[in-house]
Amino acid sequence: MAVILGMKPVVLEGFSVEPEQRELVKLLGERHVRVGEEDPGDAKAAKIKEAIAKALADARSLIEPKGIYEIVTGGEIEGPPGFAELERVAICICTIGMALEETVKAAIGAGRMLEGIALDAVGSAAAEAVARYMNDRIDETAAAEGLRTSCRASPGYGDWDVGGQRRLFDLLPAERIGVTLTPGAMMVPRKSVSFAVHIDRNPVRLRSENSCRNCDMDTCPYRLDDE
Amino acid sequence: MKEHLEQCMQAIVDGDSPKAAELAKASLDKGYPVLEVIEKGFARGIREVGRLWEEGELFLPELVIGAEAMKKAMEVLRPALEAGEAAEKLGRVVIGTIEGDIHDIGKTLVATMLSANGFEVTDLGADVPVKRFVDEAEKTGADWIAVSALLTTTMPGQKRVIDELASRSLRGKIRVMVGGAPCSKEWAAEIGADGYAGDAVAAVALARQKTA
Repeated sequence: MAVILGMKPVVLEGFSVEPEQRELVKLLGERHVRVGEEDPGDAKAAKIKEAIAKALADARSLIEPKGIYEIVTGGEIEGPPGFAELERVAICICTIGMALEETVKAAIGAGRMLEGIALDAVGSAAAEAVARYMNDRIDETAAAEGLRTSCRASPGYGDWDVGGQRRLFDLLPAERIGVTLTPGAMMVPRKSVSFAVHIDRNPVRLRSENSCRNCDMDTCPYRLDDE
Repeated sequence: MKEHLEQCMQAIVDGDSPKAAELAKASLDKGYPVLEVIEKGFARGIREVGRLWEEGELFLPELVIGAEAMKKAMEVLRPALEAGEAAEKLGRVVIGTIEGDIHDIGKTLVATMLSANGFEVTDLGADVPVKRFVDEAEKTGADWIAVSALLTTTMPGQKRVIDELASRSLRGKIRVMVGGAPCSKEWAAEIGADGYAGDAVAAVALARQKTA
């Protein structure tokens, strides 16, 4: 499919994803996520690993990946600084659906906090994986024309105001994948991702790249050294 | 008894709920003073968990199972507390995520940690109207209202809670703490909140420090 302006929105569904390991490490801690690479350690570590393994197993039947994207001009979106002049930008909204979120809510409501936060983290990691899957499909269509894509930019991250979310939802018929926006510009289901990438021979570099390296919080437990 | 208190502390640090409940029961069986068991045993454990979390030694799952173990111990000890010695009243907190915002987990963690540390907590859930925060705080005689907002678009609701308190002349009586990813000390100062807490452990420290 050609990466052309004015193309009809592309809906993808029925694909499967593996929750992103890196996101899980960030949310739950490296020593709990790297299962099988070492002795499980003490009873506490074993309990947490078991909860994460269960969450990963449960998530398989709870995740329903879907995504939609189209190509617009940078001027059509209220994007981050510098996007207005860009000729071709892919915008995408994707989700893992509602089922996992409802299970998390039930677990936490019943006081099963560890089970709830483990499954929630797996949901976040799966939403990232869905975004990556969609990003990869956009990359492939761009590559077919000898073009490359920038890193992802999302409303509410870095210097893109969360208000820009509304414009993305005006442009993309996200109801086709079951994603809606609350009056406060929040996506429902929560485990959804919206993003834009610049498509070009020489795509722009975003300020938000290498976010950990540029951050001063040296002792942050979520810091990723290799980012 | 000293060794027993050490074990109580360790059960919380280890996040071992069955052990914590067992030790709590043993404390009662042996006739140890309940307040001392809590303060020098279990509560010391949850404070240690908080300290390790702040230092980046522990991750979220460990904080959560520490709080769960604390809850189990307290379930066993609470009836004895209520029957006999006067419990140390740290204060009452009404907590929720502001209207328009359905993020729930961070707020629930704050509620769990406050409760594990001895505060009486009323958790109103997410998407809570401004008036409901103040109604519940009045009803329960709360010392604090803790308002979470995870979006820049819902943050103004935190200020409206403070305005509502002012309109009912409760501003000096009930304190307000704010938290959530987009919030900061500066934002708390700007809207006239009594404090900002960046995470569950900071919320406990703030509530302890300022509840007289």
